[in-house]
Amino acid sequence: MITEKLIDAIAQGIRQIGQIAILPDTREAAYALCHLDDLENLDGLEVHRDPATARDLSTWAEDGHYRFTKGELSLKSGWLMLLDDADSLRQALDLFYPASLGLWLANESGELEVENLRDKLNRQTGMYKFARNINDEGAQHLVQTVCGPANCCVKKILWQIDSDTPLEDSEASRFDGTLDTGRPAIPLLCREACNHFVAECRKESKKQFEAQSKQ
Amino acid sequence: MPISPKPDCALLIVGHGSTENPDSSTPYFDHAEEIRQRGLFREVHCCFWKEEPSMREARYMIDADEVYVVPDFISEGYFTQEVIPRELGLEGPTTERHGKTWHYTLPVGVHSSMTGLILHRAREVAPDVDPAETTLFIVGHGTGLNKNSTKAVRDQAELIKQSDAGYAEVLDTYMEEQPFIADWADIAKTPHVVVVPFFIADGLHSYQDIPVLLGFEADEGEAASQRDVFRQNPYHLRGKTLHYSSAIGTERLMADVILDQVSDFDTKHRA
Repeated sequence: MITEKLIDAIAQGIRQIGQIAILPDTREAAYALCHLDDLENLDGLEVHRDPATARDLSTWAEDGHYRFTKGELSLKSGWLMLLDDADSLRQALDLFYPASLGLWLANESGELEVENLRDKLNRQTGMYKFARNINDEGAQHLVQTVCGPANCCVKKILWQIDSDTPLEDSEASRFDGTLDTGRPAIPLLCREACNHFVAECRKESKKQFEAQSKQ
Repeated sequence: MPISPKPDCALLIVGHGSTENPDSSTPYFDHAEEIRQRGLFREVHCCFWKEEPSMREARYMIDADEVYVVPDFISEGYFTQEVIPRELGLEGPTTERHGKTWHYTLPVGVHSSMTGLILHRAREVAPDVDPAETTLFIVGHGTGLNKNSTKAVRDQAELIKQSDAGYAEVLDTYMEEQPFIADWADIAKTPHVVVVPFFIADGLHSYQDIPVLLGFEADEGEAASQRDVFRQNPYHLRGKTLHYSSAIGTERLMADVILDQVSDFDTKHRA
């Protein structure tokens, strides 16, 4: 069971997921969550006790843009979430990082099905159908310009271009899904390319098509 | 019919979501939280086409062996008949897959209890007008691509006409096909008009597009979610008094319609 396994992992020392610090056994609640940047300033934070507010806290970045990919390295700081029990902790983390706990556990047990980029692109419809025309070279380049912490994503990429074509070695393809703070962490996993990446593939394939048309 | 608790089951609410506007998925999370608070299911989750978690990620969030999948969509069509079954691997009303039993209900918008919600919303937005002097417009999107997209709106208009709500006229209208909502003032023969958008979420359509078609917003303006178009009722336009409601899916009672679809599924497929 996901909640029980999360609690076991915390008992064994897990203290972080994405940009969030997990604090068990605080004086005021069974579990507390805060932004990693706020660990030295816990007393000055805005306190929340309802796990459902995790969605509001994670919707907008500091600069006001909409964080529709939750692995983006742009989680707002300045809040402290105090949670009474394990179910509330699970609900909050599912809102901050949707499905991440389940994906992590499925990966640990070898049950996670990964979807390669070509499979993802080939099932796009409507305006995104054109994304499938991107060539391998363009897709490999996009991984390095869209994914990984240098491009504000904190997820570990599990997919390949297709079953025969792994990602080229780069900081993005090597990233392990955890921020290097020294705290034991649950990795954020990317089992399929996100909608942002698909949209970038569409743009890139259009560029490739227009460049070919001019030749 | 009240639903009996399902402490061993999960409820999965499926929505469209948006990469542009978080208001688009707010109703789904609100409906999920409302149902979660009632303690009827072991787990309540949401998943999306355009947001996270994706439909293909959803199964990894679920512990329960039995899952009710409810499309929080307004009509039957491309998404409910093609995309959701494909993404979740559903092959009929009930599917055994990935070690779980998946029950796939009809979308919320086609449930008969939507009629009561529309009437509730119409009365709420215009509490002092006499229905006998009022035309009620239900507005759908309309598209030449799928006939089903207008059926749910048409059915609701018909059900309200047959009810004892007492409206002088009840009409289904659309943004992009006839009869056009833009022609509301010519169509309505009454001094009062109530307009209810038949959409799940308040997004560009209800904040901006329909107000422009109705004529009380300019074509360009501030960011959609900054507006307060629903709180300035009534609008006095083209010789009539117009009352404009937010999208029907933002109604808190939509949580009941989700549960009604689960209950109906059990009656139809598991009785």
